[in-house]
Amino acid sequence: MSAWKADVKLLFRARLSAGALLLLLLVSALAVAAGLAATARQRDVIGRVEAAQRLDLASVVLEYGKPDGNAGSAAYYTFHLTTDPPSPLAFAALGQRDVQPYVLRVRLLGLQSQLYESETLNPELALPGAFDFAFVLIYLAPLVIIALMYDLVSGEREAGRLRLLVSLPVSGRGVWARRSVLRYLLVLGALLGPFVVGAVISRAPVGETFAIALAAALYVAFWLGLALLVAARGRSSSAANGAALIGCWIVLTLLVPALANAVISRALPVAKGIDLTLAQRELVHRAWDIPKQETFQRFFVNHPEWRDTPPVLGRFHWKWYYAMHEVGDDGVSAEVAEYRRSLTAREVWTARLGWLLPAAAVQTLLHRAADSDLLAHLAYQRDIERFHGRLRDFYYPYLFQERPFQNADFEQMPRYAPRPSSASLPVSSLLGLLVLVVLVLGAAVTAVRSLSLSAAPDAS
Amino acid sequence: MSSRKVKVLRVAAEEWRALLRNRVAMIASLTLVALTVTSAVLGLQQRNATEAARARYQATSDEAFDAQPDRHPHRMVHYGQFVFRPLSALAFFDPGVDGFTGTTVFLEGHRQNSANFSEARQSSLLLRFGQLTPAFVLQTLAPLLIVFLAFGAVAREREQGTLRLLLAQGLRPSELAAGKLLAHVGVVALVAAPALVVLAVATLADWVPPLPSALMLSGYLVYLFIWAAAALLVSLLVRRAQDALILLVALWMGGVILVPRLLPELALARIPTPTRIETDVAVHHELKQIGDSHNPDDPYFASFKAKTLARYGVDKVEELPVQWAGLVGMEGERLTSELFDRHARAAFDREAEQNRLVRQFGSLSPLIALRQLSMSLASTDTESHQDFLEQVERHRYRFVQALNLLQVEKIPNQNAGEDPRIAAEHWKTLPGFTYQAPDMLHLAGERIRSNLVVLFCWLAALLAGCGWAARRLGEVAR
Repeated sequence: MSAWKADVKLLFRARLSAGALLLLLLVSALAVAAGLAATARQRDVIGRVEAAQRLDLASVVLEYGKPDGNAGSAAYYTFHLTTDPPSPLAFAALGQRDVQPYVLRVRLLGLQSQLYESETLNPELALPGAFDFAFVLIYLAPLVIIALMYDLVSGEREAGRLRLLVSLPVSGRGVWARRSVLRYLLVLGALLGPFVVGAVISRAPVGETFAIALAAALYVAFWLGLALLVAARGRSSSAANGAALIGCWIVLTLLVPALANAVISRALPVAKGIDLTLAQRELVHRAWDIPKQETFQRFFVNHPEWRDTPPVLGRFHWKWYYAMHEVGDDGVSAEVAEYRRSLTAREVWTARLGWLLPAAAVQTLLHRAADSDLLAHLAYQRDIERFHGRLRDFYYPYLFQERPFQNADFEQMPRYAPRPSSASLPVSSLLGLLVLVVLVLGAAVTAVRSLSLSAAPDAS
Repeated sequence: MSSRKVKVLRVAAEEWRALLRNRVAMIASLTLVALTVTSAVLGLQQRNATEAARARYQATSDEAFDAQPDRHPHRMVHYGQFVFRPLSALAFFDPGVDGFTGTTVFLEGHRQNSANFSEARQSSLLLRFGQLTPAFVLQTLAPLLIVFLAFGAVAREREQGTLRLLLAQGLRPSELAAGKLLAHVGVVALVAAPALVVLAVATLADWVPPLPSALMLSGYLVYLFIWAAAALLVSLLVRRAQDALILLVALWMGGVILVPRLLPELALARIPTPTRIETDVAVHHELKQIGDSHNPDDPYFASFKAKTLARYGVDKVEELPVQWAGLVGMEGERLTSELFDRHARAAFDREAEQNRLVRQFGSLSPLIALRQLSMSLASTDTESHQDFLEQVERHRYRFVQALNLLQVEKIPNQNAGEDPRIAAEHWKTLPGFTYQAPDMLHLAGERIRSNLVVLFCWLAALLAGCGWAARRLGEVAR
């Protein structure tokens, strides 16, 4: 036990080590606080929008909630608010929530022309990326590990203590393990302490919190293993080892991800979003120039229940108008599926990259657990789609049975309830990370062993 | 040549020899050079592909518009137009905020839509690790390489005891510092050389405008000199080479990785942004305050009616020679657009305020000043996106009012029939959208100047610091 105590003392006596650890604790706490502030801000925005929406709805009710009110105009002028509040763990990994809208109003019109609307966003603020726990873990924690580990062996050699250390029979063998484990626990503590506090504050589910903590533990273990490997294998100076490790950091957290993104975005182009909105517009507007019966024919395929309602004879009828919009959406359903497939494919390839790249694995894991990635946004879009279906089911009886739409009917309107979390635990990413960690740690342990063996006979 | 110059050159040559012997340094430098070239080639290819795709979409959408059949003009107001933002030539070097702003806007009457389908919304989170562009390589990676090459310039000599020896042999500290600085200025020139070649070739081939590329290159050169001077300064001050390295890497981490992410958080917390929905509701509400065109007793539209009748010298709307509904539509569009403009201006002002907060810290992290400069010169900054949105809105107004005017003039005011339409050839006479790329030196002249000034101040301060540290070195060594 006294050996542990001595190592703790030694570690904190070095200004760099103590400073790096304290800095990590501080930055991690700051990131958790910033993340909590950002999610609180998003909830505030949702509250504000809900208030604005109530105001707007009240004026619509006043205008269209007449005794002989028409469901067509009511549906045209009523916007329905959908919201996607942040998950309890979003504070740790804000992901795409800064660029994807989390409030969106939809009407009974064609959904595909409403679904991709962007929120007001200052692009310059989004450009550098969020400052959250994920950022601290992925970018900064490795640097702290490097600062703590780069001269673990070479520092002893440069101080002339190395031979003595490895020749010690009892404590000597365990010295590297002890020092590594000590650094590992301290780094992990500095990282996870604030994170766990944040998770408690935001009442995060235990399972996902544990998954993030596990991912962090594995990621830190990977970097510790890598640093130990370089420290043990590197025969040259501390500075050279430090440089080599910084090189690894640049390659693994800046270079390869940027390169991979370039490759993925080129291999899986997604202009289809524009294609499908252009196609949908053509479908909807063509309906004005073709016989109404053609539009209804297509509409009745999915809605046989309205087949026997009276035909539209005049120039305009609301039920024809909304049928035209639904047919427009149906006409591009294949394109929509294709668009989502290509977006999902980008995510899938990023997750696969995690088998090789710990930073990508952790990025995927954290954001999946926090439900703040592209897949989460797609889940929100699908939920809006379901809600839009409910809106149709609600309005169509009024339109096709020509029932008046009155004040009380506004009360019956479907309300959007936020979707259940789509968070999941990507087990394959976790396994991939685990394999990487085992490999690196194995190599590091071997390197440390050979270090002792090569130095020991010399000393004796 | 004076002996002083010879000595400085000797010191520089020695430093170069030491650097050339360092295999790791050579590999890192060559990698960076290769990265700059690769990213430039990839960037150029990507830019051209994106630009071609957007031009193609614009052409298809314009053709589809012209090919619409006979219709009521108001149907065409709702059919609307799609416009795509063309990419500037220098976007291959620094795509700036382009990945985060939408690239296409749908234009229609009564509504102002957002720019949609940004790359960031359609990408996995890998995009947030940074895009591999020459700007990314030079802004983020190159400073670290320079730090690694220069941190030991003086500190190592001191550590190895050669410093005392050199000074004892009569080399003045200022000469030593000047020599080391010269050596690393050379390093910076080499690091920036691929970018120079790329920009020069692009300029000569007439792909990019010469003055912005020259300014861009000088901005990056000054930025890299700042890092070289900072490395030398720390190397002059710190006792051990290792400490110099740690300090410099920490500075890089803070200035390049941490501060740029922290500041937006601050700006967003300080200056909240209203959502599009709140704006829409507010516009709608304000519009109602002005008047209701459907209400015959509405004071605003009653006076509009009186004025119109007086202008045409008739007593009833039925007697108007032009279509009354069209006139009301035009007036309505004018009113909504005024409100859109006001809210858009308020939003731009708020963005400007947020960005000002971040940019003020250009004095804290030269990266912020450089990034701003680079984006402005490449026409990929927030302001040029706003300029695009403003042009789009002006075009939307012209386009919608042109259609409304067709309704006023071509649709009979009385007995127009069940389904009045006008001939399809009218659609071809409507203005298409051509984006007038702004002259960035004009639009962003003030920002470009001030960011250059910030960068030069940084460099001057650091060089002065080096001079002071060199004098101090002489005192310490004595």
